[in-house]
Amino acid sequence: MYLQRLQLFNFKNHSQRSLEFCDGINTLTGANGVGKTNILDAVHYLANAKSYFNGIDSQIIEHDKTFFTVKGQFEGELPAEILIQFEGGKKTIKKNDKAYPRLLDHIGMIQTVFITPYDIDLVLGNSEDRRRFVDLSLCQIDKAYLQNLSTYKKALEQRNALLKTMQGRYIDPDLLSSYDAKLIPAGILIHQRRKEFIEHILTFFTTVYQNLSSGSETPSIQYDSPLNNGDFATLLADTHRIDMAAQRTSVGIHKDDLIFGLGEFPLKKYGSQGQIKSFIIALKLAQYNYFQAVTKNHPILLLDDIFEKIDEERAQRLIDMVGASGYGQILITDTHSSRVETHFQPIDANKLHHHL
Amino acid sequence: MQFTSGIVEQAVEALSSFPGIGKRTALRLVMYLLKRPEMEVAHLADALLKLKTELHLCEVCGNVSDHKRCHVCVNPNRSEEVICVVEDFSDLMAIESTAQFKGKYHVLGGLISPMDGVGPDDLNIASLLGRLENSLVGEVMMALSATVEGDTTMFYLAKKLKPMGVTITCIARGIAVGGEIEYADEVTLGRSIAQRTEYLL
Repeated sequence: MYLQRLQLFNFKNHSQRSLEFCDGINTLTGANGVGKTNILDAVHYLANAKSYFNGIDSQIIEHDKTFFTVKGQFEGELPAEILIQFEGGKKTIKKNDKAYPRLLDHIGMIQTVFITPYDIDLVLGNSEDRRRFVDLSLCQIDKAYLQNLSTYKKALEQRNALLKTMQGRYIDPDLLSSYDAKLIPAGILIHQRRKEFIEHILTFFTTVYQNLSSGSETPSIQYDSPLNNGDFATLLADTHRIDMAAQRTSVGIHKDDLIFGLGEFPLKKYGSQGQIKSFIIALKLAQYNYFQAVTKNHPILLLDDIFEKIDEERAQRLIDMVGASGYGQILITDTHSSRVETHFQPIDANKLHHHL
Repeated sequence: MQFTSGIVEQAVEALSSFPGIGKRTALRLVMYLLKRPEMEVAHLADALLKLKTELHLCEVCGNVSDHKRCHVCVNPNRSEEVICVVEDFSDLMAIESTAQFKGKYHVLGGLISPMDGVGPDDLNIASLLGRLENSLVGEVMMALSATVEGDTTMFYLAKKLKPMGVTITCIARGIAVGGEIEYADEVTLGRSIAQRTEYLL
């Protein structure tokens, strides 16, 4: 499946924009600020029903406008037109002119892998950024995960609201445990799937990292979760008093983290710029490989400004590696037309170039 | 919106505070009302006012009623043995129209939702527990929405009802009548399989 045409209305800085793409390598060039990254984000939006960068839909609407739409024509085995519209706080998604009853039903039709300079937060940011990476990987292919994550978030929000309104006063354990009853099955499933995901990508990830960095150090990803230390039901029951005092839920998969290391050292503290960049690209390619393994299709690869910000050598290796299993659709942005051309010259695939 | 009359503006403002009604729709309603005979508008105003002045909440079950007790509670033909717990009287009306339920009701008046500032004490829960003491009730059937709020409210109620020795049931959830399996969502379908029933000829 590939995106053949993209149409935007009032999406970030694009009042009106229509672009055609080929099933191979598509390059988007233009000066800073013309909105190249926003085009990649629109493709991500079509797949995931949300922006890669900004979770607040109202902020995606172009300044002074009241709505935005993203429309994509997908070609392949099952051609489909996807239309996402956001107006008056309400989001609707239509597939071939028919609205989905629930937004969740759409997610999983298309997979995207986004590599952008902002991904540095995966290593340097807080645990939320790393959970987001795992969630984005699993939600795009696993409906049960997506459903349970949504239930978990709602129940957690209610439980935290309860703890907050009681301001440390005693809460009827029956009331607290009514939220635990929702959190437990969802949390256990999410924990299980996250664990399997990390185990699944680890070997591939390690090979890619070593190939990219041409170094000898062994990278590691450790899945850190309160649920590793025991039964979730017991953990929740044991922390009722602590939660009442702290006015929030202190154990659960919302505290999960990934611990990245190189050899014996934590990456965040001791990794060089280059090592961190290689680590992130290897993670993203592992995600690409994971989607491919599960869906037997190529995800759409979105490469944002990788030659400038990530460095040319790594970027070239990245492109070679993606091509090793045959190229799927790639959308790539750069400020220099000549640079992308040089990199893609030797590759035998359909190519299309847009200068914005 | 620029108004040339303060009276029209006041009416538009009042109507647009209704859920699902914006300023434009409110203005359309006002223009419609202006064209209707005065009697009809007076009748509407009276009907609205009565909602506040003459409507009772049934002292037993919390249902809306013209009297102190609602027509279900005073009906001698309704079974005393089963109580159906619903969120609001609109749900009660929906169940009544199935004509499948012969017991009595209890209207909670909402669901537990700390985010909206609604706790168990804000709902008709104490009166439900009171009704069960020294009564003929053998079963409490919970008919609440299949949302996080509905599920947690059911769990809480079940915890409180269990020591009272009644059978606690909840209405079945599954594939809609006339629905096709391939279009059912995974969670509903999974639950329908887990809670399948024997096929009776």
